[in-house]
Parts: sequence; structure tokens; C-alpha cells
Amino acid sequence: MEAIQLGKIEKPSDCHAPEVSKQTGFPSAATHYMEATIDLNKELSRHRDATFFVRIQGQTWAKLGVKDQDVLIIDRSLKPHRRSLILAVDEGSFVLHRMGDVLGKEALVLWGVVTYIIHRTV
Amino acid sequence: MIAMMDCNSFYASCEQVFRPDLWGKPVVVLSNNDGCVIAANKEAKQLAHIPMFEPVFKIRDVLVKNNVQFFSSNYTLYGEMSQRVMNILETFSPEVEVYSIDEAFLNLEGMGHLDLQRYGHQIKDTIFRYVGLPVGVGIAPTKVLAKLANRISKKVEGHDHVFVMDTDEKRLEALKWAKIGDVWGIGRQLSKRLRNIGVFTAYDFTQLSLAWVRKEMTVVGERLWRELRGEPCMDFTIQPKSKKAIGTAKSFGQKLEDLERMEEACAYYISEVAEVLRTQKSCASYLQVFVHTNYHSKVDRQYSKSIVVTLPVPTNNTFSLIVEARKALQRIYVSGYRYKKVGVNLYGIIPQQFVQGNLFEPPLCAGKSTLMQTVDAINNKFGKSTVSSGLVGTRINEWELIKKERSPRYTTKWNELLTIE
Repeated sequence: MEAIQLGKIEKPSDCHAPEVSKQTGFPSAATHYMEATIDLNKELSRHRDATFFVRIQGQTWAKLGVKDQDVLIIDRSLKPHRRSLILAVDEGSFVLHRMGDVLGKEALVLWGVVTYIIHRTV
Repeated sequence: MIAMMDCNSFYASCEQVFRPDLWGKPVVVLSNNDGCVIAANKEAKQLAHIPMFEPVFKIRDVLVKNNVQFFSSNYTLYGEMSQRVMNILETFSPEVEVYSIDEAFLNLEGMGHLDLQRYGHQIKDTIFRYVGLPVGVGIAPTKVLAKLANRISKKVEGHDHVFVMDTDEKRLEALKWAKIGDVWGIGRQLSKRLRNIGVFTAYDFTQLSLAWVRKEMTVVGERLWRELRGEPCMDFTIQPKSKKAIGTAKSFGQKLEDLERMEEACAYYISEVAEVLRTQKSCASYLQVFVHTNYHSKVDRQYSKSIVVTLPVPTNNTFSLIVEARKALQRIYVSGYRYKKVGVNLYGIIPQQFVQGNLFEPPLCAGKSTLMQTVDAINNKFGKSTVSSGLVGTRINEWELIKKERSPRYTTKWNELLTIE
């Protein structure tokens, strides 16, 4: 009984089956051009294992273009450059900054680089 | 060479990643239902003697007095963070054996051209940068030595959580440093026996004769003896081991007396474990149900009982299992006690395709199996327990776990994200 290996959990495939048309009438001209639908998760988080989402509450960071209820996509694997918007820790609390504005401030600990700001308009 | 990676106070560290206000502060994590302390970080351990697995109500005052932050366990978060760590490790070696939620072995064979000291630091630094978790890395010629190297990386000053055992001098020094009880696989009983015959360190153990070890400690001891001497005997197992048993048992949020509530709880646990069975495409042959009252209560009368039933046909069908579990529970339930816990275990786990029916019970009738697939699909999409057996009831909160201090599920729930003001 011990030797039996159970199968791994199967991941659902994310592509369509482009060669099989389910239409019964005249075959669609697009049949051979089918591609997987855009996956935002893939496009907006390049390093999935280093990516975290953070929600903003209040207007504290409005001057940086970050509004109430925005969701930030943070990539911890990236090295910030001067123009990067960064999430950092200042004496135990989270703060947002432009990297260039805080260069040389040693008390700040980098938490991650903001790669996208998701702003809801409706 | 083999590397052994281990996260430092993993549960507490996961909590601290999202709580910079707690960096450098004492943190402990409580078990399901906030029953006892299951993890404490370095700061908490230094502050006070915090006995593990001690009921929390007994040490609550100590925790509060010392400003120790405590969390209910958030396994959703820990599991997801663990998955990230393991994914990152796979970029460092083609063979990663996940040993537990926070430990893994990496096969570094054929990487002799690398500076392993540097490689170890790269592993450690990358994990810290990507997910914010501190880890230690031990690198050595065998698994048992790698585990020991990992211990040294943390316990001996000056190693900065990376230790490479790349020479025989280092190996001997490590063996002389390691107490016999600290060796992987030597339990408390065994280490007591060994100390009685004058074996106090791992080095002493390697000086015993192989014949003695083989006779007294079987092939397991022999493997350990060889591994400690630098001879690899343990293979890499990349495939997760098949589970021999799956079970769940949690304490009730409040004590329950009537059978109906307990049946609901039992049905709920069955749906949890049956779902595990189905995701790994297996079936259970036996079902165990057990109940007990609160051992720690001095006022309540005590009762505990368990029962194992053989299922007519191995199954992973929630509804069939609930029916059997209910019958079993009715047989062991005695009224008049205040129950603290009901649990279910499934044994005799076999792959789904090996299930044999009998004359009267066809294996997994097709209709039911499609129904289960639909139930799983709905629950995956809309959240746990959206659809469940009517027996589960809707009074989950009466017996559902207390998780008073649970942190948000930062990485898996859109409405529980880390929030910044």
C-alpha cells in the first residue's frame, strides 16, 4: 500500500483548444487564430512569487497620484531606480515615496517597488 | 552536495512581513481554536519561557505582561507564503524536496564549480528580498549532515545563517558540537538510551561499531551512521508521499451537548476531508469518528470514544461518507456530556482508479461523481461551503473555530489585502 503514488493535482490549462471548432455550420475563419484571452495576473505581475497587492485607504498619498481605495501592485524582486515609486517602512509604519526623494535616508527600509496602481473609476 | 533550507520561526515571520510595527518584537502563534502556543519567534523565546503546546489560558498573563503579540493561526497565509518560498528554491536547483511547510532539501549535485558559500547566501538573500522571510541554509555532503549544517548556521555565532560543511575538519567539528539528541531522527527515548552507554555527541555515535548500530537500531540507525560519516544513503523524493491517512479534528468554539449540532460539525469535517481526497484523486476504505470532552476541565464529567467503520466500497463521495459518519457518531454519542471535540479520520487511502466494487455496491456510481465535481467547482468559485450537504446545517458559527486574533489572508483574499493609510 505504501508504494502507491497518488497523482499530483492537475492544473487547469489556460489555453483554448484552437484546432477544434465547436460550431456545427460553416467553420469560423478565426479557428486557426484563436489565442488565450489576456490574463492580467500574468501581464501585471512578472515575478509572481515576489508580487503582493496592497490597498490604500485615505488621501494621504494623493500627491503621489495614489488615491483612496487604489490597489498597488508591488514587486519585491525589483531594484528601485530614481523615478520608482516605492513602498517603504519608516519606524514601523508603511510609507510611500519616490525613490529619488529619499535617497540617503537610512532609516527607511525598502519593502517593495510599486509597478502598477489600479484605480477604480466606476 | 545537498542544501537544507529552513525558515526562521516561519509562522511568526509570515505575520511580521505584513506588520512592520512588529519587527523585532515578540510574536507567538496559537493553534487552531487558540488552544495553545504552536510557534514563537526568537524575541518571544528570549523574553520568557514560553512552553509550547501549553494551553493558552494558563500562560495568557505571561504573554500579556510581556507585550507579546499573539495571532490565531492563519494557515491560508502560511501555506501560500510557503508555496512562494518553494517556487523560489526551484530556481536554485532542479531537484527540490519539500520536507515540510518551512523546510526543503536542494540537490546541488554537479554544482561543484560554484562557490557554495556564496550560493547559500544568494538563496537566503533572494528569499528575503522576494517574500520578506528570514531563512537559514546548511550545505553538506548528505541530508543528515545538511540538516546539522543548517542547525549550526543558526545556533553558532558568526555564520550569519549560512554554513557550508565542505571539509572533513568542519564535519568532525560539527559532529563534536552536536548533542546526540539534536541529530535528525534520534528521538528522546533513543537519545536517552545512547547517553546511557556514553554516547553524548553525534561524533560519539559515529565511533560506535556498525555491527552494534545495525543490531540495536536496525537499518534506520545504519543509514544515520553512514550519513553522519559523509556517505549519502537517503535519496531525493521529489514526489510528495501519498498520504496514508487524512483527518481533521478541531475543538468546538463552545462546548456542545446535543447530538444534532455534533452531527453538523462532523458532516462539515467530512466535506473538508472528502474534498482533499478528490483533489488527489483517491478514495478512503475506512472511516474513523471520535469524540471527547474537555480534558482540562475540572468540573465536567469526562468521556471519550472512537469508532472505525469499514466502508462498503472505498469512496470519496461526501454524501456517502456523511451518511456513514452519522451512523458511526450515533453509536458512540452518549447524552449528558459537554463535548469539546469531534473528529474524523480516513484510512486505507487508495487511488480512485483502483477501487473495486462488489456485487451490491458498484464503485462510485457515475451520477454521484458528476454531482461531486459540480459541488467542488461551485465551492472553488464562490468560496468554501457555498454548497454543502443539508446535514452540515447553517449554524456553523456555533461550533466553528474561534479565531479571534487571526490576521487577514493578505495574499489570497481580495477584500483582506494589506491596507495602508
